[in-house]
Amino acid sequence: MVERLDRTFAALADPTRRAMLAQLGQGERSVGELAAPFAMSFAGAAKHLGVLERAGLVERRKAGRQQLCRLRAAPLAEADAWLRQWEGIWNASLDRLAELIKAETKA
Amino acid sequence: MTRPVILTVTRDIAAPPESVFDAWLDPAIARRFLFATPDGEMITCEIDARVGGRALIVERRASGDARHHLLFDEIDRPRRLAFRFRADPAKEGEWTRVTIDFAALDAGTRLTLTHEMDPAWAAYEEQTRKGWTMILANLATALEKDNG
Repeated sequence: MVERLDRTFAALADPTRRAMLAQLGQGERSVGELAAPFAMSFAGAAKHLGVLERAGLVERRKAGRQQLCRLRAAPLAEADAWLRQWEGIWNASLDRLAELIKAETKA
Repeated sequence: MTRPVILTVTRDIAAPPESVFDAWLDPAIARRFLFATPDGEMITCEIDARVGGRALIVERRASGDARHHLLFDEIDRPRRLAFRFRADPAKEGEWTRVTIDFAALDAGTRLTLTHEMDPAWAAYEEQTRKGWTMILANLATALEKDNG
């Protein structure tokens, strides 16, 4: 789980890849469309997409002569689950701390 | 780029910053709130409260023993406490980072806890910091699309 999350975050650690994901958040895109805003070669875009693919964040499929990419949200959902879990734990701890201090102040 | 924050929790507590700060490092107090659950039994709460010191907090639960490890990086009473943190089954080296800021209010303390997830934050800190800025925005969009 931690290793997988590490791959997710490493993939997200690059601004070009984050911008690509943001584009894919709007819907399916071809590799050429993803490369366009960055004045980047097809090969350069493909390299970034490879990192995203290995992190499980992007899926590619062939459509005629084009390759179309789509976003896969599962790894992000895992990161989100991790966040929610710890948010709950810290909130519970802080609630208890606040109560504890309140009780001691009254005593 | 602003400092990326992955998880932030805030509480206003009706006590001076010194008292709120000390609660985290005094085992007698910490065992009563830190990672404590209603049905659990706190079986270990050892805190070596110095920079480089460690803490081990273990609560016995129906699901098994929940072990929490801390390694203190910054102890700046009563302003700030920072430690590396991991809970089993995360292994040694797979730390996350927790920072707690204590700000004085007119009638107490505002506690702000930030938990940054980076299993290898020491090695990849800068790289990973950059990565966090967009995650939450992306996440919301992505999840909506996936579910919708």
